[in-house]
Amino acid sequence: MDHSKDAAVLDLVSTGESAAAAPPVRELADRRKVFGDQVDLLFRHSPTGVLISIVVGGIATYELWGDDTRDLISLWCVLMVLVGAARHLLYRAYYKRSDDNYSNWLRWFAIGAFGMGAVWGFAGAVFFPAHTDAQQVFLSFLLAGMVAGGIPVYSAVWWVYALYGIAIIAPFTYILATFGSPQFVELAVLVPMFLAVNISIAHRLSRVFADGFRLRHAYAHLGQDHSMLNTQLQDQIEELLQAQREIEASGRKLALFSERAPIAVFEVDRNATVLEMNPSAENTFGYSSTELIGRSMIRMLIPSDEPVLNGEWWQSFVRNARPEAGLKVRCRRRDAVELVCEFSLTPLVNDVGELISVITQCQDITQQLEAERLKKEFTSTLSHELRTPLTSIIGSLQLINTGMLGELDTEVSELTSIAERNGQRLLDLINDLLDIDKIESGKLQTYPEPLSLDELVRESLVLNRAFADRFGVRMVMLGTPPSMTVYADKKRLIQVMTNLMSNASKFSPEGGTVEVQLELVDRMARVSVMDRGSGIPPEFRSRIFGRFAQADSAATRQKGGTGLGLAICKRLVELMGGRIAFADREGGGTTFFFELPLTDRAAVATR
Amino acid sequence: MPTNPLNRICYVEDDEDIQRIVRMSLERIGKMTVQVVGDPAQAIETIKAFKPDLVMLDWMMPGMDGPTLFRKMRETPEVKHLPVVFITAKASSSEMDELRAMGAAGAISKPFSPKDLPDQLRSIWSSLP
Repeated sequence: MDHSKDAAVLDLVSTGESAAAAPPVRELADRRKVFGDQVDLLFRHSPTGVLISIVVGGIATYELWGDDTRDLISLWCVLMVLVGAARHLLYRAYYKRSDDNYSNWLRWFAIGAFGMGAVWGFAGAVFFPAHTDAQQVFLSFLLAGMVAGGIPVYSAVWWVYALYGIAIIAPFTYILATFGSPQFVELAVLVPMFLAVNISIAHRLSRVFADGFRLRHAYAHLGQDHSMLNTQLQDQIEELLQAQREIEASGRKLALFSERAPIAVFEVDRNATVLEMNPSAENTFGYSSTELIGRSMIRMLIPSDEPVLNGEWWQSFVRNARPEAGLKVRCRRRDAVELVCEFSLTPLVNDVGELISVITQCQDITQQLEAERLKKEFTSTLSHELRTPLTSIIGSLQLINTGMLGELDTEVSELTSIAERNGQRLLDLINDLLDIDKIESGKLQTYPEPLSLDELVRESLVLNRAFADRFGVRMVMLGTPPSMTVYADKKRLIQVMTNLMSNASKFSPEGGTVEVQLELVDRMARVSVMDRGSGIPPEFRSRIFGRFAQADSAATRQKGGTGLGLAICKRLVELMGGRIAFADREGGGTTFFFELPLTDRAAVATR
Repeated sequence: MPTNPLNRICYVEDDEDIQRIVRMSLERIGKMTVQVVGDPAQAIETIKAFKPDLVMLDWMMPGMDGPTLFRKMRETPEVKHLPVVFITAKASSSEMDELRAMGAAGAISKPFSPKDLPDQLRSIWSSLP
């Protein structure tokens, strides 16, 4: 919302409320417009003034006509008509005007009025001395009438009237004063006074006019403000209505969220008293909302011996008002069945930090926990039940194959060797499957320690020599391995080495050599195992580290392997903060390598 | 390191097949004297009578599991000093750590290699204080 508009509205409202302190309403009027109205009024009365002057001028001509004054009267008449015509033209021009330069129009009007006054003044000055007493009285009254009659015509601007009046009276007064008769001299004193009184009336009238115009404009202005205010108010009301509609919509949305949510939701107050709950909460705990609302969620649902979500725990939760999530809590259902629920508590706090309510979400995880337990038990049982018979099978065959029970027939020995080898393969598969399962469920624990990587590589070379011998493959260390320390799980790292070395042995041609190298690459310890095998087929490259990945099933049958080895290696290396990859070798064969971060001694010390 | 060579072994194991394999391995390859107990409830009596140098316990047995039997041995004065080695199909590192914390001399994971078993036991024997 526009704040300047806010402020504006407030201003107008305060004007309305405290009118006493505000300036008079007429001050709101625009001075130029008031002036314009005054000029306009003058022009509106102009035809009347001209008409009256012409008519009265006609009567005067008729009254004063005589043989000796014929020329003068005729001249006067012509003057009167000319001035009248000029004023009428001015009047026409005013109504066709294209500009609002009022002071200019007023100037011309004032000249016109002065001219008209002067024509009458001429009459007074020229005709008065030359006529009879009766005619003089007539003329005097005529002039007085013209002066008085000018008030309504010219007083919209008082000084225009003053010009007009002075133009009539001044020559007349001069004639009176110089005529000789003492009565006329007295009149010469009285006449200007009469004019002064008239001017002061005109002055007052002009103020009344101006006030009237001012008020008219002020009210027009107020009316405009008022309608603007109304428009603004309407806009604001519309905005408020819109906001209300939006709030209602989001309220409905929220209500739908909680109503349809599969998770139980309670809103509770600071004493854990239930304020509201959703249908899922009813389903989870078997209580209808009427049974729980108004009661303590903790007392109704949670056994008192629970370490979290008991009364004391709640007190400290309310004090801290921090969200809590993932609380696994035993709960009692209405039918006394025990559930395990995962609670998330979100305190709602107002802007001064007071706790308003707590949104409590909880999910029944009883079955999930049971499923996890069963799976763990199943895996453990499977592992035990498979290993026990395999122990007997492999053990028996191994004892036979040692020859301690006497030399065996060649064919028998061949068969028992096959049986032992495949028993071992089955065992490897079980071990790998268990490993993968543990890694993927995040249950594999590694026990990292600072390890001398060069020693570990030498050790793996010794451990795997026998396996390489079986394939007629030599295994050698390339160069002298530099001494390096990494932070890793020894047993798991040997598992990785064994996997890579046995793969390299299996896929090397008979009589070939597997080379192992330890080097420092980009501040990482890199162990490479290189063979001269047939390389990795292009279509197999992308899934080589996947589960049950084997390039050629015929080769697998021949050479053994579960297809899980590299998948396990990748996960183990990543668990230890490293990476594993492979590359083609110049001149045929493949290099598999993994990299581990070097141990920072300080970091090890603080671990 | 004990002064006498490892000779007398008592093995508590419910699976008869594995009993035989272990017995053959230790007697034929290891040239040791072996007493096998199938019922863990009778184990302590047999051990008392046989007076072995070292006791091997299976972990999972019906009636009483290896760790329980191990604790019982620790409560029996005549046998509490005997070194105990577990043979277990449970092979995770945490379980091994648990066994060592309980005072076991060592653990051998199932399936073991009968060819190597005597050497594995002798190596544990020689590492005893």
